[in-house]
Amino acid sequence: MTKYFVPLHRIAMTRSGDKGDIANIGVVAFSADLYVLLKERLTPARVKQYFKNMVRGDIVIHPMDNIHALQIVMSRALDGGATRTLRFDQTGKSMSVLIQSLEIPFGDNEMALVPPRPPFELAE
Amino acid sequence: MNRAERDKIQSKTRQRVRLGAGAGYWGAELGAAIKLANEGAIEYLCFDQLAELTMSLLERQRLKNPEHGYIPDIVSQIEQLLPVMRETGVKIITNGGGTNCAAAMDKTLAVAARQGYGDLVVGAVSGDNVTAKLDELMREGWKFTNLDTGEDDLSEIRDSIVSAHAYIGADGIVEALRQDADVVIAGRVSDNALYVGPLMHEFGWNFEPAYVDRIGAAIALGHIVECAELVCGGMSNLWRVSREPWKIGFPIAEVSPDGSAIVTKLPGTGGILNEWTVKEHLVYEVHDPSRYVMPDGIADLTALRIEDLGGNRVHISGGRGLPRPDTLKVQIGYRDGFAAEVIYLIGRPNVLEKAARAEEIYRELLARSGIVPLDLRFDRIGVDAISGGMFDDPPESDVRECGFRIALRTRTLEEATIARAHFLRVTLYGPVGVGWGAPPAVRPVISLWPTLIPRDAVDISVDVRKASA
Repeated sequence: MTKYFVPLHRIAMTRSGDKGDIANIGVVAFSADLYVLLKERLTPARVKQYFKNMVRGDIVIHPMDNIHALQIVMSRALDGGATRTLRFDQTGKSMSVLIQSLEIPFGDNEMALVPPRPPFELAE
Repeated sequence: MNRAERDKIQSKTRQRVRLGAGAGYWGAELGAAIKLANEGAIEYLCFDQLAELTMSLLERQRLKNPEHGYIPDIVSQIEQLLPVMRETGVKIITNGGGTNCAAAMDKTLAVAARQGYGDLVVGAVSGDNVTAKLDELMREGWKFTNLDTGEDDLSEIRDSIVSAHAYIGADGIVEALRQDADVVIAGRVSDNALYVGPLMHEFGWNFEPAYVDRIGAAIALGHIVECAELVCGGMSNLWRVSREPWKIGFPIAEVSPDGSAIVTKLPGTGGILNEWTVKEHLVYEVHDPSRYVMPDGIADLTALRIEDLGGNRVHISGGRGLPRPDTLKVQIGYRDGFAAEVIYLIGRPNVLEKAARAEEIYRELLARSGIVPLDLRFDRIGVDAISGGMFDDPPESDVRECGFRIALRTRTLEEATIARAHFLRVTLYGPVGVGWGAPPAVRPVISLWPTLIPRDAVDISVDVRKASA
């Protein structure tokens, strides 16, 4: 099976924020099929590896089957939290953008699931 | 829109309560809120103006001047809203009272009386300030365990504590409304309590088991609309298709007695509101979505059904909840050093090499002054300022220019002052860099210690007064 690598922004939308030193990224899949695939392939280990230079604590991912979303919760992720961190992005808002470049492996037969554009742009 | 017209719209949606989001942060444009009050046929306009750090900043202001400590903008905001409040009967609920709701209430009453609104009734909710209770509870054996780090010895930072505020629920807001307040000024209530409160009041809900699902639904709804423009295509994945975002509309929640609701925005406003914008905000700053723990209940956000009705209308139903927890979250702010930072621009050729040299020079300058910062950070804006260390550097020839940023935190003000003075020397002793004015002043750092407190240790009180009285 040929492997492709699809950046996350092609198959999901994201939004991130902070509470204390915990950052979270909500990942909302563009379809039910893509959600099933993401649940399997967007793992805590994968995310930890991707953000290894930023996130010092554990990563937990909670499913939201009702809206086809994954909630990525990352501890010790902001160098002490918004009020103390020296990061330019104090509240982790850009983590939603950074994760959009994370590449998800796809099989040949799965590439048809990738929409040409996000559904909210197709509807226009 | 006058009161009769509003009543006509409301009678069509009988038994529903319409809430508008007036602000999602301190500094939001008041125009969008005034438009909602005028044209939205809403009964309540809710302003969330507090971020995690705000209470500590406001408490420091209050300690300097007992008349301060609330978000000063709220008085002029309420003043500007007085005419539409009179006309439509819309009520205002805000957490902008910060650490001094009483002073904010006094100012508001004085302004109202001066403007001829002597019958305005204002309620102030207090009890969220638990600073004075910490020592006693510690003596009794309560552990203020840090929810972020697991540390459980608060005495280590006890002398540095600036403020401790509990996230209280809707109780005080409900009581103020029961006493006919037109304006409710609260401090550190949870953001969504600004919405849960009026719904509990209007629908006669209480904290008995019969209402847990409806309160869970209200918490979810509050969460969806409390950041105002963020559910209407602001800061959004939908930036390409959001229409006329410069005149973005703020959301309205039209809530039914069962807790289901339609979220919408006014015709003619900018932005976009559809199933996708609701979903993207539903996930915002949530940890376990099946247990979204708030002072008024524990909402299950995974139970919600989101249905796009078209025309900037989204139906939300299926809300579920669990009883409110026995503990409340407390945010403790404590002094934790001083920070300084600067940005220079570096031009080609050899941008990255120059940045590396500038970093080396700065590190040596610090060392020669004997300064060992608590934290030290170098960014190359345009290369790695937000992605720090995630990606390899581009080839030097691809980099046209970058911002070179130095940021550090020190234990003492003196160290930070010396470190700030060294910023200039990075370019004066090294490669050419372009600065803009003087670096920002050294700022004191307040760190947060999130923890829990027993609910019964927090006494909420409400003071309701009339302008002319």
